[in-house]
Amino acid sequence: MERRTFLQFSALSAAGALVSGCQSANEKLIPYLVPPDEGVTPGLANYYASSCRSCPAGCGILVRVSEGRARKIEGNPEHPVNRGKLCARGQAALQELYHPDRVAQPLKRSGPRGSGQFAKISWAEGLSLLSGQLKSLQREGKTDRLALLTPQLRGTLATLASGFMHSFGSPHHLSYELLAPDWLRAANRVSFGVGSLPWYDLAETRYLLSFGAEFVESHLSPVHYGGAFGRMRQGRDTVRGHFSYVGSRLSLTGASADRWMPARQGSEGALALGLCRLILAESLYDGKDLAAQGLAADKLLAGLAGYDLPRVSRLTGLSEQVIAEVAREFATTRPALAMAGEGVAFQSNGPESVRAIGLLNLVAGNLNRPGGVYPDLGSPQGPENSFAELLSLVGDMRQDRIALALIQGNPVHGIPPATGFQAALARVPYLVSFSSLLDDSALQADLILPDHAALESWGDLPPLAGTRQAVVGLMQPVVTPMLDTRQFPDVLLALAGELGGTLAAALPYPSFLEMLKKETLRGNAGKEADSETLWEGLLQRGGRGLGLGLGQGQGQGQQGQQGQQGQQGQQGQQGQQGQQGQQGQQGQQGQQGQQGQGFHWASGAPLPDPSEPRYAGDERSFPLHLQVYSATAFGDGRGAQLPWLQQLPDPVTTAVWDSWVEINPKTAAGLGIAFGDLVEVSSPQGSLRLPAFIYPGIRPDTVAIPLGQGQGGGGRYARGRGVNPLLLLVLSPDVGGAAPCWNATRVRLARVSAHGGLVTAGHPQGSYRSDLIGI
Amino acid sequence: MHSLPVSSLVSRVKISWIISGLVLVALAAAAGALVMYLLPLDLRERSPFQPLAFSHKLHAGSSAIPCLYCHRYAASAPVAGVPALADCRACHQFISPEAPEIKKLMGYWERQEPIPWVRVYWLPDHVYFPHMMHLRARLGCALCHGEVAAMQRITRSAPLKMGWCLNCHRQHKASIDCWTCHI
Repeated sequence: MERRTFLQFSALSAAGALVSGCQSANEKLIPYLVPPDEGVTPGLANYYASSCRSCPAGCGILVRVSEGRARKIEGNPEHPVNRGKLCARGQAALQELYHPDRVAQPLKRSGPRGSGQFAKISWAEGLSLLSGQLKSLQREGKTDRLALLTPQLRGTLATLASGFMHSFGSPHHLSYELLAPDWLRAANRVSFGVGSLPWYDLAETRYLLSFGAEFVESHLSPVHYGGAFGRMRQGRDTVRGHFSYVGSRLSLTGASADRWMPARQGSEGALALGLCRLILAESLYDGKDLAAQGLAADKLLAGLAGYDLPRVSRLTGLSEQVIAEVAREFATTRPALAMAGEGVAFQSNGPESVRAIGLLNLVAGNLNRPGGVYPDLGSPQGPENSFAELLSLVGDMRQDRIALALIQGNPVHGIPPATGFQAALARVPYLVSFSSLLDDSALQADLILPDHAALESWGDLPPLAGTRQAVVGLMQPVVTPMLDTRQFPDVLLALAGELGGTLAAALPYPSFLEMLKKETLRGNAGKEADSETLWEGLLQRGGRGLGLGLGQGQGQGQQGQQGQQGQQGQQGQQGQQGQQGQQGQQGQQGQQGQQGQGFHWASGAPLPDPSEPRYAGDERSFPLHLQVYSATAFGDGRGAQLPWLQQLPDPVTTAVWDSWVEINPKTAAGLGIAFGDLVEVSSPQGSLRLPAFIYPGIRPDTVAIPLGQGQGGGGRYARGRGVNPLLLLVLSPDVGGAAPCWNATRVRLARVSAHGGLVTAGHPQGSYRSDLIGI
Repeated sequence: MHSLPVSSLVSRVKISWIISGLVLVALAAAAGALVMYLLPLDLRERSPFQPLAFSHKLHAGSSAIPCLYCHRYAASAPVAGVPALADCRACHQFISPEAPEIKKLMGYWERQEPIPWVRVYWLPDHVYFPHMMHLRARLGCALCHGEVAAMQRITRSAPLKMGWCLNCHRQHKASIDCWTCHI
């Protein structure tokens, strides 16, 4: 090309760019084809109160909806669990609704299992396929061959699921989640005779001792305890509460502490008992308190004789001076509080260690006190050993005693293969999934009946361990369903109607909404019209028993509630007055109940005895402890499917869109591993390759990998990203027996190459995927 | 063509000429930028052609249909709203259905395709302009939109610049705080 032509061309294209730039200034104004329904005003938003089910905590949410589309989720200020706050996973629930890979209609498998080949079918065909399977089980008299696998359900959905299985005649309803707090319920059952979760009055405490409880990111009710932690530190004029953290890895919670006590893994229970012994030996306890719990100091002291300071110091690897100092501070600062967390519980001696921490609370006089520990009233009952149920179901599936499995949730990704679950599930002849994405479980299924997204669903959600009030949050659809999906409970009800007989008699509801309404308004003696008003009022506020008055300590709570009642009265909302009155009544009843219901040491309960922890893997070939933990964004894997959460930098490592293994600088130097290197982590069970993150906040004998990534399905954002550390875990009878010891596996590391491809907000350069960071 | 060494170039052209040339270019660029900044350049077309020859003169003028009959959200929402295609069709099924432009309208309906009207009044995203507050202040539509009832094709009659907004706000003693519009 000649120079002259080239110049002409470039001038022309520049002019063209300018002209088109001017033209695009006049935008288009696109009208509706059909005017929107009543109540929809373009440009004006409606707000709906609902509840979040992105994690088990059950926070209240307000969803902004404009032009019939959900736009933004924030916390409900009246919900006592989250008080208007909401975490990233709650905010990201919007993306579940708009996920581009949602299953749009029922699917039937058309290729081999796991191939992802499905044929689109209608709901009528899907339901008749499933009811045909159920009918043939009934005909053959083998109704016990049906299994239902769900996460831990609460509220009306739990009633429905267990009612369905019971009436059908099958005992195999497994409600299992990897990180469910069964261990805490079980420990409280042995020590205090009640299988209740604790509610910690964190905001009012002055001295907090957390044993591996990551209450800011994942433990029980993170938004609630995150807010309470802020009030404990900065909410009072007179005192800033102290926080000591015990654990082998500094999580976001640990990094917020005043003191880090990097005790050896599995020695936390011994540390708690050592603290107890010191408090008793130095007479720092309250004698009246101990007597009221039915315990005597001298007997306790004799029972704990083995936990003298030198031995505890040797077991934990902490100095005697630090242990003694913490014991004295903990006993003399009132109120104080000790929490037990997942880091402690999933060890071979976990159950006893958790009990030891309970005993520490008792000896220091923290039970049933403002600033201490109360039983949770939100969900007082729950599974206490669902892991044993999982193992027994795996046994049944292995022996071909299950012919049909209904799967809600994603157990194929969320259960360690060492349990044999995945292999056993493959033997089940017919699998039905209710997933709204083609996740690892749905990929194995023969039939997929897609569920609504959370924002399209009805439901009720008693919060988990986030309040002392008797609260039930309601979920309501904030938009009309976008796709041809149906809610899981509606499918169960339709099947019950189709099968007839005892099932239809036990579940005579035309829809889940009807059942929910009836269950929610149960015990509300009133006329039809009243109950309709009451129901609407409950939906408007987001549930029953909301309000921030209670749960603030004893005297204050009552006043707060009265104050609020007065305010409501002044607003003169007639529909809500009756409801408010009832709430007040309920709250008071709740409080009276609480006074009788505190934690009391069960007579005859043995003293906790955390033995030396045991580990799978020979110490010489596998020198490092592996800790798996729930990352802020991914939770147990549900969050990994949403791009906002993949893009959210992990608060500690700032890594995005990937898995990583945290290694202490000393250990890394010994193995020649540098930041971002690709390393191989091997355990007796298997090996994984992932980038290294050099992190001084972890013990040199420990490495840690976050949970949730490494999915084979789950949509375009999760598929094939990172690794699933559950593949490394060993389940061995000589380590923890039939207990879920997810942190009792040893591993070894080997450097593979310098190209781990880790992208962090701190080190975006030098990575071939630095384009992923848009912050 | 063979290249000349730099030193010989400098020897032929006086250095002061190069310097003064550069200064002139810089000055011209600065002046150009100043002119672009000061002049109220309004590059957007004021009366663009529309996909349908809709006449406000006929509807709002001769037939005297009130503005809010079609732009029904103006009193209650930030946006005034454009009538839905179904609203147009509701009347024109009976009113002059044989006119060529109405046939075009019905064509849109049959294809279930919205009419891509060209926007005439437009504000950038960092300006919050709520119609309902201006209606509540009893300002007539014509104050900003001009004598629409006399327009065959809609023509923008106001510059929609910030100074123009502020003038009116001052006259009516409305707030001129930044946060009134830039929220």
